Amino acid sequence: MSFVHLRTASGYSFKYGTSHISSLVERAAEFNMPALALTDREKMAGVIRFAKECEKFGIAPILGVNLSLVQKKYRVTLLAQSGKLPDLYKFLTALNIESNLGVVTNKFIEKYERYSKNLFIMHGPESQLVDALSKRRESEAKGILNSYRDLFANQAIECVTHLVAGDGPFSTSLAGKSLAFARDQKIPAVITNAVRLLDKRDGPIADILDSTRNLTPLSANTVERKNSEAYLKNSAVMSYLADEISRLAGERSGRRLIATTLEWADATKLSPRRDIGLGNIHLPEPSVVGAKDHLDTSRLLRSRCEGNIFSKYHGSKSIVAANRLEEELSVITKLGFETYFLTVADIVDIVKKLGIRVAARGSGAGSLICYLLGISGVEPIDNGLIMERFCSPTRGELPDIDIDVESARRLEIYDEIFKRYGERCATVSMVETYRARHAIRDVGAAMGISPVEIDLIAKSLPNIRSSNIAKALENLPELKNLKINSKVLKMAVEISGYLDRLPRHLSMHPCAIAISDIDLRERVPIEINRSGYPMMQFDKDDVEDIGLLKLDVLGVRMQSAISYAISEIERVEGKKLDIDTIPLNDKNTFDLIKSTRTLGVFQIESPGQRELIGKFSPKSFTDLVIDISLFRPGPVKSDMISPFLGVRHGLSPIPKIHEDLDEILSETEGVVVFHEQVIKIISKLTGITLAVADEKRRELGDFEGQQRVCDWFFPAALANGYEISVVTKVWEVLRAFASFGFCKAHAAAFALPTYQSAWLKSHYTAHFLSGVLTHDPGMYPKRVILDDARQWGIKIFPIDVNKSKRNYQVELTSIVARAPYQAPNLNSTGEPLELPDARGYGIRVGFSDLSGIDEKEILSIVENQPYLDLVDFINRSGSSRPTVENLVKVGAFDLLHNLDKSNLNRRDLLLHVQDIYKLGAQVKLSGQQTFELIPPDLRPSGLPDLTLNEIVRNEVDLLGLDITGHLLEFYGDFLNSIGAIKSCDLIKQRSGSSVLVAGVKVALQTPPVRSGRRVMFLTIDDGYGCNDITFFEDTQKEHASLLRNSWIFLIRGELRRTGPRGISIRGTAAWELADSYNNWRNLTSENLKGGAK
Amino acid sequence: MAGVSESHRVLAANGEPIEFIHSGVRFRIHAIVSQWRKSGGWWNRIKEIEDVDLSNTSGSILDSLDDGSCSVWRVEAAPIGALATFEIELDEKTKSWQIRPTSRST
Repeated sequence: MSFVHLRTASGYSFKYGTSHISSLVERAAEFNMPALALTDREKMAGVIRFAKECEKFGIAPILGVNLSLVQKKYRVTLLAQSGKLPDLYKFLTALNIESNLGVVTNKFIEKYERYSKNLFIMHGPESQLVDALSKRRESEAKGILNSYRDLFANQAIECVTHLVAGDGPFSTSLAGKSLAFARDQKIPAVITNAVRLLDKRDGPIADILDSTRNLTPLSANTVERKNSEAYLKNSAVMSYLADEISRLAGERSGRRLIATTLEWADATKLSPRRDIGLGNIHLPEPSVVGAKDHLDTSRLLRSRCEGNIFSKYHGSKSIVAANRLEEELSVITKLGFETYFLTVADIVDIVKKLGIRVAARGSGAGSLICYLLGISGVEPIDNGLIMERFCSPTRGELPDIDIDVESARRLEIYDEIFKRYGERCATVSMVETYRARHAIRDVGAAMGISPVEIDLIAKSLPNIRSSNIAKALENLPELKNLKINSKVLKMAVEISGYLDRLPRHLSMHPCAIAISDIDLRERVPIEINRSGYPMMQFDKDDVEDIGLLKLDVLGVRMQSAISYAISEIERVEGKKLDIDTIPLNDKNTFDLIKSTRTLGVFQIESPGQRELIGKFSPKSFTDLVIDISLFRPGPVKSDMISPFLGVRHGLSPIPKIHEDLDEILSETEGVVVFHEQVIKIISKLTGITLAVADEKRRELGDFEGQQRVCDWFFPAALANGYEISVVTKVWEVLRAFASFGFCKAHAAAFALPTYQSAWLKSHYTAHFLSGVLTHDPGMYPKRVILDDARQWGIKIFPIDVNKSKRNYQVELTSIVARAPYQAPNLNSTGEPLELPDARGYGIRVGFSDLSGIDEKEILSIVENQPYLDLVDFINRSGSSRPTVENLVKVGAFDLLHNLDKSNLNRRDLLLHVQDIYKLGAQVKLSGQQTFELIPPDLRPSGLPDLTLNEIVRNEVDLLGLDITGHLLEFYGDFLNSIGAIKSCDLIKQRSGSSVLVAGVKVALQTPPVRSGRRVMFLTIDDGYGCNDITFFEDTQKEHASLLRNSWIFLIRGELRRTGPRGISIRGTAAWELADSYNNWRNLTSENLKGGAK
Repeated sequence: MAGVSESHRVLAANGEPIEFIHSGVRFRIHAIVSQWRKSGGWWNRIKEIEDVDLSNTSGSILDSLDDGSCSVWRVEAAPIGALATFEIELDEKTKSWQIRPTSRST
């Protein structure tokens, strides 16, 4: 007879269970066990994975939870009866919500008797009842038993022997005594093995987890186990143990004990689909979205879409749109997903009502319905987007819509959604699993290895799986030097490998929220997360598996930056801009993009993207969509970019396969770039629907799938009348590019904020860059964005105690700034470009970037503006002394005390601050001031003012910005004398020439490249733009260390022109600029001396 | 399958001891009073691993760790007619046996 384990802890018993759910279920299936229970500690986060594995191996899942009881001293295991899983979820949810510690008390059970009455309880070796038995307090044990009698559907004594010596927990002796008690009391007794290991040899892993959980190094007191018997034993071994226990209880064999265990297994077996809900769909009720019933949701969806069709389409286009709408509606009605779309539209409406910017991302932009409901801002018909990539009748799965919102206001949206949907929604959890760094840290700490050694290894490791640490240590050059020769360290590395992908922590998913009907809490256990939101213990994949509406509300800083720019336009210009209605063919916007001066622009600001747009010269919205699709690891690695650009610039002919494909591939010069093109090609050649073609496209993702599609494709296309040579050619294209293509709808959804941000930078440069500086959406440090602003003729104003606010603000100014950047227009650079001229505008630095200042101080400073003088500021602003001093150092009082028109300087102000505090000026909380002595006058001290160098140093140290001057300005003479070229002039150089450039490090990256070789990409800025320099392996040996560790460089390289405005520099040598400068100064002074002689 | 351990001369069948020689006297086991297993404390032997050649193990560090794993049988045994209680311990790593006379009550 096959045994069933009623108590198994997996890795989802965080930092306790050593095994992956898949391994446990596979092992139970190997043992021909008909069922297996998952009873993790405190949480049920592994339930859906467990149910899926059970379904895969054809065994019945049993679900339970092992809970702390009475001040965490004891533990009991609860099991859900067949058909009563919701009661277990609700019991656990109530416990999570009501008890911070998740500890069960008798009072709690009595309160939630309505749930516990449908649950089974097992009193095992760690329970209060068995503890009483072990201490020979039988009457107490009876009392406990009786107190639970009416609270649970059934209770059993759980007999467990791990063959531990003596008569304590997990000894055969106590198990026998427990069984005898059960017999006396006439209650069921079951046998389990309280499994926490898959194999006997996993004991040390359990010890590491015990040590990590208890935050103490390994010792006999830290670890729980006395031996390694808590593994998933087979039926024969469990039968033998049942015999041993039963004999101690005076029974001839363990048959009765096993039989009762199997009866309990039968009574608690669940169906993965019916009980756990795999494959079901649970959307909000029609009434939630304003419909009477399901039929009414169809009417509502139709009327909302039709209501918008004529405002968005005119003339013949409206007929095309109406036909497309009919097609999409018929698919959605067939799938019964009307409520899904209405709910997402409702949430988007909520966001818009809050005045928060929102944009759909992903394949959802391919749906006309999403466009008409206002979920997506991308027009799908003209952009050639199809709905089938997003929602298909052949898949029958809920589609996935993600929305991008302003990052700074994301939680406001959560609050509104919770207000609107109440118990129907919850945030989704995210299971953090062990990877290399955490694993080596935890194992090292447990084994008592020197924290310095472990820290060095952990910090040096890339973000890899912990099973790959040994390989990384062998192969990566920077890790080879760590010299891990000690066998103890090697052992720690190997043990870390066993923690690979084991769950270590459950946290809130950064953006996912799930919505269902009013019965949500019957389908998922919920807890309250650290942010105070209800959170499902299931992750985003689990949520999709049980058919809840999952919506990713992604906080995108660029949306915040755009929103801020729009508010600045309104404040400064008095114009209310609707960025969502700007024309998508603005010449100035594309000129800016072509110039590659795209710092701050969404998606196209990175060095790689700037190089690509320099080569590509995008001239339409579709070009932006193509650009975003091409700049992905797949296309870059498979070199899809070169053939495309070759055709685009007329260097090679358009690849021609068959005229039927011309229309599909025309927008991408005959090269397959988009998923949608793959779908259309498959559909065209074989005559199948787009929906089925998308299924075939999905299959192309792996080798086996490719073979299946190949076997189907050839006969299908031949039968459709195409010649074998055409079919073969098309197949080659599909095979090569299908898996690297990108969803056009997704790229189009990204291209919209890309275009909008470029439009803003082009037309409202100062306003846009203020938004970028305030919300910091991109990859560049603020000092580089500030420098970019200067290059457009914008004046940068320092912090001023009376003029600055929290954020960066636009100011109109008559101060003459430098002339704006003009793109060199040469024969080789294509059409002349019109670029922004932002003279007349300034950007005032806000308080928020000042080192050490807090939000409370900023609020108080701004609220109490204006200030009369330094004394007034100290008394009324609520600022701390370090903040006051830092403000003086960055020039925030210069204007207030007219430093430029008097003989006072910042040193005098600093002395004045000292005097004021010394004399005991006190600030009362109320803002009233009391002086024990009259504050001193502010007089010149005679000390020299700060040098320009000191001023800039203070700005960099305290703000991270060089406001007064670019750091390279100090080296101006030197750079001119050696002929270093400014970044804005590089395009005038001949391809192949050797150039000297200088700049401050912006970024150093070593991304994977097509050749597989390691390449270092350095970006520097010189006050005239950014230079991107590539260092290949031949130069890395000599210069890699300098590139990593230094900040300001002089670099020699070979320049190459890669397109109309594309430049690349191959670095051949690098120096620390200060060293070169000092050598030059020494040489110059020696020459002068020589000359003097 | 029975086998005799040369070092302590324990005769075992199916992994359980049935006879042994102690202090030159051959004992027959009449009953197993109790049996238990012990393991753990591998971390106390970490230093020793410096002397172990990991390349000779099965490839898994877990297999090369000395986790002090052993099985213990408390038995009733008699030389000729006289019953006594012993603990017979099998060190699972070294496969060596140890025999200790003991009181039944402990």
